[in-house]
Formats: sequence, structure tokens, C-alpha cells
Amino acid sequence: MSSGAVDIRELGADQLPQLEEDSAGRIAARSPLELFWRRLRDDKVALTAAGFIVFLILLAILAPLIIKLVGTTGPNDQNPKVLDSFGTPTGPSGNHIFGVDPLGRDVFARVLYGARVSLEVALVATAISVAIGVTVGMIAGYYRGWIDTALSRLVDVLLAFPILLLGIGLASACSLGHGCLGGLVKPGLTVVIFVIAFVNWTYIGRIIRGQVLSLREKEFVEAARSLGASNTRILFREILPNLVAPIIVYSTLIIPQNILFEAALSFLGVGIQPPNASWGQMLADATSIFDTAWWYMLFPGAALLLTVLAFNLLGDGLHDALNPRVGK
Amino acid sequence: MRISFLRTSIAAIACLAAALGIAACGGGGGGAKKGGTLTVLDVAGGVDSLDPGYWYYQSDYQELANSTQRQLYGWKPDEDTPTPDLATSKPKVSNGNKTITITIRKGIKYSAPLQNRTVKTADIKYALERCFLPQVGNGYANSYYADIAGVDAYKSGKAKEISGIKAPNDTTLVIDSTKPVGVLTFANGGALGMPCTVPVPKDYAQKYDKGKTSTYGQHQVFTGPYMVENNGKGKITGYEPSKKLTLVRNPSWDKSTDFKPAYFDRIEEKCCFDSTVASRKTLTGQSMVSGDYAAPPVAVLKSALSSRKSQVNIDPSGGNRYIGLNTKVKPLDNVNVRRAISAVIDRSALRTTRGGPNIGITATHFLPPGIAGFDEAGGNKGPGFDFTSSPTANVPLAESYLKKAGFKSGRYTGSPLLTVADNTPPASKTAEAFQAQVGKVGFKLNFKEVPHETMLSKFCEVPKAAVAICPNFGWGADFFAAQSFIDPLFNGKNIVPSGNVNISQVNDPALNAKIEKAKAITDPTASAKDWGDLDKEVTSQSYFIAWLWDNDVVLSSTNVKAVPSKFNSGAADLVFSSLK
Repeated sequence: MSSGAVDIRELGADQLPQLEEDSAGRIAARSPLELFWRRLRDDKVALTAAGFIVFLILLAILAPLIIKLVGTTGPNDQNPKVLDSFGTPTGPSGNHIFGVDPLGRDVFARVLYGARVSLEVALVATAISVAIGVTVGMIAGYYRGWIDTALSRLVDVLLAFPILLLGIGLASACSLGHGCLGGLVKPGLTVVIFVIAFVNWTYIGRIIRGQVLSLREKEFVEAARSLGASNTRILFREILPNLVAPIIVYSTLIIPQNILFEAALSFLGVGIQPPNASWGQMLADATSIFDTAWWYMLFPGAALLLTVLAFNLLGDGLHDALNPRVGK
Repeated sequence: MRISFLRTSIAAIACLAAALGIAACGGGGGGAKKGGTLTVLDVAGGVDSLDPGYWYYQSDYQELANSTQRQLYGWKPDEDTPTPDLATSKPKVSNGNKTITITIRKGIKYSAPLQNRTVKTADIKYALERCFLPQVGNGYANSYYADIAGVDAYKSGKAKEISGIKAPNDTTLVIDSTKPVGVLTFANGGALGMPCTVPVPKDYAQKYDKGKTSTYGQHQVFTGPYMVENNGKGKITGYEPSKKLTLVRNPSWDKSTDFKPAYFDRIEEKCCFDSTVASRKTLTGQSMVSGDYAAPPVAVLKSALSSRKSQVNIDPSGGNRYIGLNTKVKPLDNVNVRRAISAVIDRSALRTTRGGPNIGITATHFLPPGIAGFDEAGGNKGPGFDFTSSPTANVPLAESYLKKAGFKSGRYTGSPLLTVADNTPPASKTAEAFQAQVGKVGFKLNFKEVPHETMLSKFCEVPKAAVAICPNFGWGADFFAAQSFIDPLFNGKNIVPSGNVNISQVNDPALNAKIEKAKAITDPTASAKDWGDLDKEVTSQSYFIAWLWDNDVVLSSTNVKAVPSKFNSGAADLVFSSLK
């Protein structure tokens, strides 16, 4: 029933669905997935970024094994013996390839485990904020009227808050005692995920609402409605599939924002709490000793930079590949 | 301790023999230049209050008490007994050590708007009385002045004055105590050398002392060499909390009546810098000295000691660093659990987080070197308890104590313990090291790092917050007596709803009684023995884990001659320091 969000009449000749002959000489149109893949595989930058992200995910998953293979200590194992008599950390060496931090912990191990935290927070928080944003956006855009007004004003109010300050406030309030929401949001990683999800769903919510406002007027929705389809069916079977592309694109672009947001919260001391490793927290620690322990800032900083860059480049690539109207 | 004592003695003898005059004896002396402006760089918020009745912390003493006011007795920077300041001589003790008579100097004037008025003993009487007013928020009056006759009636509102403090004429002050109190008689300390004895004219101040919080601090009149910049009509203009504090010369101060040289013309305190920034600015700038932080970050200390050694003063602070364990939170109500924590702590590693051996000696008990009772409690070696004697961790011993506490595996298996720590280095690093160390025997912590002020005012000093462990505490002497360590921190009567320094919330009637008994001893030798025994007792109970008898590090610019104050835990004494 679905016909897709793109009006073929609006496309240029080079953007029309391409036809090709199969081995039996039959002519068949390429599927949207094929078209997407063809576009994406031509984008070397996006593919490199995707490769880096896969590599990073593998590093994070296999962190305990890698640490064993490298033969270094765990991320929270403190060893004062590798500090000098003043307690200042020592740099990269055979035993500690990224050096150690001011508590004698291996920086390589902490960077690896920091990747776990960053990816976990970013992916889970993104999934939650996308879920909330898509749900709110679909309801607001489809039903319009007072529901739209109420939800849109709520989004406006949340967008009016300076999100870093809101995040700091929420993280501080939820980090003590039994947490927030009657203990549902417990102090620790869940607080950071909750805070990031809470402040970030509004962006995708507003985008989805705009898309749905347009889609609900399309012929295929009218057709479904005329055949007696329920609102739920129209929303989930007709409209939602047409939102996959923007959801994927914006999710990919939100992930690096969330990684940076987590790093910022941890940098400011209200994110991931010690002894858990977090790139932001490591950078905060390193600021006071960056001139004497460059390695402590360089490695987590580089990891953060490359990860955010990779997600951004992949997001751009996906955006280009999924949106046929975008010229290279 | 011996080195410190010898140095003090030599300094005192040299001063006497050379008869160089008051200024030189304090440590200011040669090379001091009169005039100029000094900038003090603060990190942790600077002073806590402008009210002399409130002043209690190192920065209050450094930046306000010593420089802007005169007490009955003051402190020269390298001495451990107080010097008469407003008083003309040491207190005269009579009536079986229960009556103290003090004569004060004539003609000491207040700053504007009371510039035509001289200090009278009635002003000191009111100053002592207002220290018991809840709106003043004093932290030590109950420890040192509670045995003065009539205090209970005054505190309960039954009396308008403390009957035991009398001002029979303008220059005589008589204090009657219900029992002998060593710290009042000067036998074992100098409780009359504290800011509660800064004169406060009752008729002027009383209107500001009404309401929930006294505002006298913002309108106070000064007697010291400096005053907080003001409009001359009783309104302070030179103070913005956590931003700046400006001291200018007090025109009413008469140098000939004071032992303080007060070289600078102006002192500006600026807040709140990152400790690395403050340290580096001080070392590389001009006319600056470090303020309210005990030591710079270790990297700065290391570099300063290698290339700018003359700009670094490291002196014993006369205090300690300890980890507070709340006995009201399970399982810390069990002495064996507390001993297990003490045994598993690597004191040497904790010290490394603050800068290693330069920063002090690993502690084996609570009283630091230089305090009467230290030797009696075992000196550097300590009282000999197995859970405090090793500077490094003893995991098997900790496991054995946990087994005694009922944890069959020798590992803690209970719920996480709320632990609230300071969020700035080096304190945060100490706390994180502690967290890893107790983890070796299974302790899980609900670990929070918050700003220092929040740690104190919202958590660790608020019994209701039920914080189990506070890893970032330190205690300096109020004066050179064990009472100023043991009584405030372990006497149950000092537990208060906020600003509570009895972090462990110890309220053992037997211990309280022993403390009260020790307070009444006026013979120094007997007193030292009793306080030493009390130190052993509180150490045995592991109400805390003392891990360092620390040094205070003062940084100064190349053109500043910084003079550390022994009394004020090694912080720079601004009235004895000078430009070179």
C-alpha cells in the first residue's frame, strides 16, 4: 500500500529508479535498499567511518580480552609504584603503552573501557530519545489539534532550556540517594542515560512531527483511510515505514552529540562517577597536568575526537545515500 | 616534633637576646619591605563569613582574623603559645584555677564609624556571649567556653547575660568557671586566643545580631592593622562572597600597641581559581601568595621544588588528614568493620595522591606531632594497633576483622555505602584511591564527588544526610592542645544538626566523661597523659582513619617574603609577610 515519501515526478533523470537486465534478460527496478547501498558504497569517507565505528565497537566489546593480550592492568587497578615520588604519572612505556594516570591506572585500559561507556550511553540514550521523539512527533503530527498544540508547546519549553545546564541540574539531582522517579533512575550510568535521553528527544520529535504532517496528506494515507484502516494501523503500517530514512539519519547524527554530551557531563563531574572510566572524566583530570602528562589528555581526547568524527561522517553519508534529492 | 620545638626555642631566644623589637620576632624580620599590595589567590571560596564570632577555618584566620581584628591573645607566626594582644599580660588564675582575670590595654580604638571609641572589657564580654547565639553560628564556643558560670542559663534564655563573665571596669575582665578549664587558664592551650575574644561593642552590634542570621559581619568595626574596605559609615564594600575581599589600612590602628608589623598597604584576596592556575599564577607572577588551599597540585609542586624552591615553604601543618566513618550507619556501627577498613587502607598510597613524602608523614593515630599527648599516644610509631601500624595495606588482616564482624568469607557483602568526596584534586584523587583500596575486601561504595563546600554543608556535616564515609577530612589545631582535636570531634555533646564536625557521630557516655575529665586538668604533664590515652582509645575504636600528619605548602611570588603561621596550620601569615 505504501508508495514512499518521494514523488517520482519531482526527480531528475539521473535520480530516477534505475533499471537493469538480470541474467535472464528480464528488466527489473532496483530496490530502495539496493539504491541506498550503491550510493553508500561510493562514499569512501562514510565507509571508512563505518569501519572505524565497527572497529571501535569490537574494541569495546573485547576490552577485557585485549587488555589481557596486551598484558596490562585493568582499568581500575591502581599501582602507586608506577608513579614517581611526587605521585606524578609516568608516560608511555612497554608496560603501559598509553602511560598511566595520577592514580597509577593504565590509560590504555581506561580508554578502552571509556569506549564502552561512551558507546553504551550514546546508543542507549539515542534509542530512548528516538523512541520518545518518534512517538511524540507521530502523535502530534498525525492527530494535530490540541494534542499537537500541547505536545509542540512542551517541546518548545524543553528546547528553551539551556540543555547543558538542564543536564547538570538533572544529573546532580538524580545522583544522590535513591535517584529520580521513585528510584527508577538509579544513580550511576542510568542517570546519565536518562538525562541525555530526556534533553535530546525534542529535536527528533520536532523533525518527525514535520514529516508526519506532510505524510498524512499523501494519497496512500488517504487510500488507507478510505479502506477503513484504523489510526493505529495508518500510523504504524503506513506512515512509520516512510520515516525510517529520517530516523536513521538523525539517529546517526544524534549519537555523536550524545557522546559529546556524556563527555561534557563527566568532564563537569556530574556524569560517569569514579572509578568508572569515561573519556570526559579523563580529560577533566588531565587538564591540570596536561603539560607534564600529555599522554593523559592526548589518548582519551583523540578517542573522543575520532569517534565523534566517525559518527558524524557516517551520518552525513547515510543522509546522502538515503535522500536521493541530495546531490554530491 | 623535636626539630619543630628546637626551631621555636632558638627563634625565641634569638629574638630575646637580640632585642630586635616585636616585628622581627614574628618571622617578618630581615629583608621585609614596608608597603605595596599583596594578592592572595584562593581556590575553595575564601573566607566563610565576615563575622568574627563565626571565624573558625584556616582561611578565616588567614584573611580576616589575624589582619583585621585584635583578640585578647594573638599568635606570632613561629610560636605555639599565644601572645597578649588586647590583653596586657597572661591571664591571672585564682580560686583553684576557676577564676581568670585579664587586664586589657587602654586606648585601643575601633575603625569608623566608632573611631572615637575605645575598646572596653564589656565589649569582650558581649563578644564571648554572642558566640553562643545561634544566629552567629560559632563552631567552638561549646567546646571551650561552656564551663563558664551562667552559660547554660544564657543559652536557655533564662539569663540575658553570662553571669560568669564580668567587666568590673573598662580594663578588667573576670571569668568565673564552674570547674577548672585548662584551655582557659593557658595551662594547656589558648582558648582565649580565638576570635570569640575580638571585641564587639554591644550597643552598636546588638541590632545586627537580631534575626535568623547575624549581619554584624557586614557592619563590623575593626581593631586590627587592616579593615575590610568600607564606606566609613558601617557598611562593608570590599567583599563579594567567592569573588574578592579587599583589606585596606585601618586608620584607627596604633602600631605602637601591637606586635604585628603589618607591612603591606593593601591586601586583595581573589577567588576562586583552579588550583593549578592559582599555583602557577602565584609562582610566575608578582606580589602574590597562595590562599585557602593546603597544597598545590602535585605536578606544580614537583616543578616548583625543582626550579623555584625559594618560592615554596613546606611546614608541618600541625594537623592531620583522616577518613570519617559514620558509626550510625550499618555496618560501620561494628568496630571490626571499621578496623577492617583501617587495615586495608594504604596510607602511603593515599599520601602519594597529595604529593608523596614532601607532603607529610603517614599517621598511626589521631594527634599530630607537636601536640601534647602525641608522644603519650605512641609518637610516630603509634599505639601499636595492628590495623594502624602499617603504612601499606594489610588485606589478610582486614579479612580477619571482617570475619570477626560476621562476614564469613572475609569480604564485605552488604549494600553499597554512601561516600561523599571532594571533587577537586588532590582530594578527589585521595578519595578515588580510598575507593579502590576498600574494594580489595569487597566494599562497594555509592560514591559521589561534589564541590568541597557542598560536601561539608549538605552531606558530611549534616547527620541527617546519613553519609557513611567521608574520605576528605582534615583537622588542624585550634591552638596547640589535644583538646582542640579530641573534644570537638569525639565528644557526643558536640553533635549538631548542621555544621557537625563529630563526623563519626560518636556519643559514648564513658568517652564523653573521660573527655570532660581531661579538660579540667590544668597540670600539663597529667593533661598530656590523659589526652594521649584518649587518642589511643578513639584510635582503637577506629572512629576515623588518620592517614597523614600533613605539611602545608605556601607558594609565593619571587618578590614576596611569605611567613608561614605555625598557629594557622602553616598558611602564610599576612601581617608578618612582606614584599622583598
